Amino acid sequence: MNRAITSWIFLGMVLAWTSSKESLLAQELEAPKPSQAVLEAQQQRIESMRKASRATVAVYGTDGQGGGSGVCISADGYVLTNFHVSSPFGHRMRCGLNDGKMYESVVAGIDPTGDLAVLKMVGRDDFPVADIGNSDEVRIGQWCFAAGNPFVLATNLQPTVTYGLISGVRRYQYPSGTILEYSDCIQTDAAINPGNSGGPLFNMRGELIGINGRCSFEKRGRVNVGVGYAISIKQAMNFLWQLKSGRVVDHATLGFTVATDSNGKVTVSNILESSDAYRRGIHYGDEILKLGDREISTTNQLKNILGIYPDQWRIPIRYRNDDGIVDTFVRLQNLHLPSELEEIIKGESPQKPPPQRKPGTPEIPPPDEKAESLKQSNIAKKDPLADLYVEKRGYSNYYFNRFELDRILSLRSNQGNWTESSENWKITGEVPRENLNVEILLSETSLVFRLGDKSETVHPRQGWPQWIKQRSSIGLAMGMRVWQEWNRRGPRLMGDAIYLGRNPIVGREGLFDVTRITVSDFDVLVYTSPDTGLIEVIEIFSDNQTDPVELYFDQYEPVDGRASPKLIRLVYGLETQFLVSINAIQIHDGQGGKDL
Amino acid sequence: MNLFNTVIGSVFQVSKYLLLLVLANHCTLASDQGRDPSTVINNEAVISTSQEKVVKLYGAGGVRGLESYQSGIIIDNSGHIVTSWSTVLDVNKVRVVTFDGRRLDATVVGMDPQNELAVLKVEDAGLVGFDLATASAATTGQRVFAISNLFGIAAGNESCSAQKGVIMATTPLTTRRGKIKSLYQGRVYVLDVMTNNPGASGGALVDLKGRLVGIIGKEIRDEQAGIWLNYALPMDVVKASVERILSGKTSVQESSLKAVAQPHRPSDIGITLIPDVLAKTPPFVDQVREGSAALRCGLQTNDLILLLNDQRVDSRKSLERMLSTINRADSFYLLVQRGQELIRIHVRP
Repeated sequence: MNRAITSWIFLGMVLAWTSSKESLLAQELEAPKPSQAVLEAQQQRIESMRKASRATVAVYGTDGQGGGSGVCISADGYVLTNFHVSSPFGHRMRCGLNDGKMYESVVAGIDPTGDLAVLKMVGRDDFPVADIGNSDEVRIGQWCFAAGNPFVLATNLQPTVTYGLISGVRRYQYPSGTILEYSDCIQTDAAINPGNSGGPLFNMRGELIGINGRCSFEKRGRVNVGVGYAISIKQAMNFLWQLKSGRVVDHATLGFTVATDSNGKVTVSNILESSDAYRRGIHYGDEILKLGDREISTTNQLKNILGIYPDQWRIPIRYRNDDGIVDTFVRLQNLHLPSELEEIIKGESPQKPPPQRKPGTPEIPPPDEKAESLKQSNIAKKDPLADLYVEKRGYSNYYFNRFELDRILSLRSNQGNWTESSENWKITGEVPRENLNVEILLSETSLVFRLGDKSETVHPRQGWPQWIKQRSSIGLAMGMRVWQEWNRRGPRLMGDAIYLGRNPIVGREGLFDVTRITVSDFDVLVYTSPDTGLIEVIEIFSDNQTDPVELYFDQYEPVDGRASPKLIRLVYGLETQFLVSINAIQIHDGQGGKDL
Repeated sequence: MNLFNTVIGSVFQVSKYLLLLVLANHCTLASDQGRDPSTVINNEAVISTSQEKVVKLYGAGGVRGLESYQSGIIIDNSGHIVTSWSTVLDVNKVRVVTFDGRRLDATVVGMDPQNELAVLKVEDAGLVGFDLATASAATTGQRVFAISNLFGIAAGNESCSAQKGVIMATTPLTTRRGKIKSLYQGRVYVLDVMTNNPGASGGALVDLKGRLVGIIGKEIRDEQAGIWLNYALPMDVVKASVERILSGKTSVQESSLKAVAQPHRPSDIGITLIPDVLAKTPPFVDQVREGSAALRCGLQTNDLILLLNDQRVDSRKSLERMLSTINRADSFYLLVQRGQELIRIHVRP
């Protein structure tokens, strides 16, 4: 009987087991498939990450040591990374892509304050490029991913992708220990670890929205604690051409400081009377309402926004004083003295051996053998970087400054040939509004400016500042002289010419190449169109305490095969003095005049 | 939806029922929100709504690794805020900074030492908070957002930080001796994301629909492994504490305590406190006398006395007042903070 009962129990158990198994199977069959939208989104994500990975760069020293990340942003091999990644390597490094190859690379420009650097890879003209996103559209709660070389894991040069949430936007991180300042940065909980520095942060469309660079650590050691920061791609793009100039790039001050008053208003608490802001009417106690394209409600915000702009940029500002609200532009001043920047770089640069591996960090990958042998054979023939580095004080790599200036000047060839003309010019025009005739005579010995029945004469190359300080309209003749010399002889024969990068122009869309020329006792900024190379604006500075004279050139038309401006506006401190309509530029060579 | 696959992977092993649930949940969200992967789940709206109900708190601290700031959750529309009970609250008025940058003063209504929670009250500021009635329990495997002012990153009207995570386990916070030291020993949600950073405690854990599911706990660390635990207290625990506090059971009414004829005095126990120079001088032990009761019981220099018989000691004055209500012959309990640890000490005369 016992046996019978046991078998019944056994049978019962078997039945129960079978039925439960059946029900489980049934559930598996019934499990709904992910919807098409889900599958498509997944596919899209895979594609985004695949594309993004191609442009992600692993940065090593020339000996394969050290390690950080970067991202390629142009087919000719420009790479964005952190200054603190590139600085230990000096001016040479090697960049690995996920095609498994290492590329010899050289530093172009550095921004020690904003922790950015631009490198240039050599060896291809079709490097994979990251799509540039819009970091202004990044919102808390969006998904994102970081790609890079955390813990120098990319032994096969395949980047590591970490995935996360945008935790915060428009964050400001104070300089910690160094002067590195993160303004208006993006905060994410995607894992950012040592080695991720300099690498890209992407949105889910695979567009570049930031450069990862910093984490909050405090007491928890130097690994991710759920808080990483990326420099916004907006800031990086603002500085890109400044960095491509091979200079040591500086950040800016407004020339005034602000504090929050008892009513919670952000007001000017201190202002330099020599600053551009002061000349634009901003005084102690005025309330700052807007800077750049953003409203200001806290002092933090002002600091935050200021950090994304290079010095010398003119950015919109809105303030309120007793008379009401004023919209104007303010020219940003450099934050550091050149000597201060030099000190910083000295502190950050390698005194030979690149950073030692910290105990507990992973083994540094051996240099790629193929690239190594390639490098060896190249060195035997010719160092590919030998021509790409020129040392000069104040520059991280002077080669790129020459390169960019050459690029601008090469654009001149599209505008007709001025180089063979003599320097004796007669420019005639009129001020339509006042119905006055204008005549400018440029010659080897003098500049003569006639407006109506008034006439003034100035030396062709010096003594200009005193006229500029008086806001003299002879500034028009000086500007035309610069215009003439730029086209006739080129900036390098006028004085010490430096390519600064790209700056905005008040009232015009886009960014413009800017060249600074130091002539005897004054400085000139020449703004040219990146597409045509035509001069858009010329600014001549007497000193940094007075407004420069500004000439705005418009309506270029070909005259005799040479592009000539038809309209020129003379401006001091945003105030137009007059608009000249040019009738003719006559060039008098030895054989007599020739109309253009 | 991007997390969808990771969720599938882990959930498969846990429960097929849960998988169905999660799938169903995600499918509706997917169809609601269109196909752009960055907006499939409308995180932005959920997070920004939740951020408006999380406040930044500032109070005492800023010395010896003690932060002077933390986070708090607005839990109704009449100005109540729940937060971690910590030394940050050892001030007359706790400074509350709301999402829109308003700076308000809050008083401590009361605290629940057992759950290490406190409730603050801000008067007449029109604060809008979570609805505790709809706050729900969460399940293991569920996805959540953590919203807090970790590291004090946000100031003024800047938004608190948001992090994504999954509840990895729901488990009692076992505090084996020498491993993890925490006063709270109840159930917690263990998270897979590094939420419990300085300043994060008191922050909100919300589900994907923005419903409050927990409060981020204080920083605790496994002493042996050196690992920091990321966890949150579930809502039933929070609700129980809030009810107890609001019903007045745990708040301290010092005036109701009566002095006894032969009370304890700090000097008799054998401790010297740091000089009373502030309105609310924190009761730090400056010296412990050789051969005293205090030394015998384990009090040490630099201990900060937090609780006396489970009642809050908010200053040196209040410690002296409270000691004066205990008969010299009776023993009592102190809770002291020593570095990052909380230690319960039984003082026997």
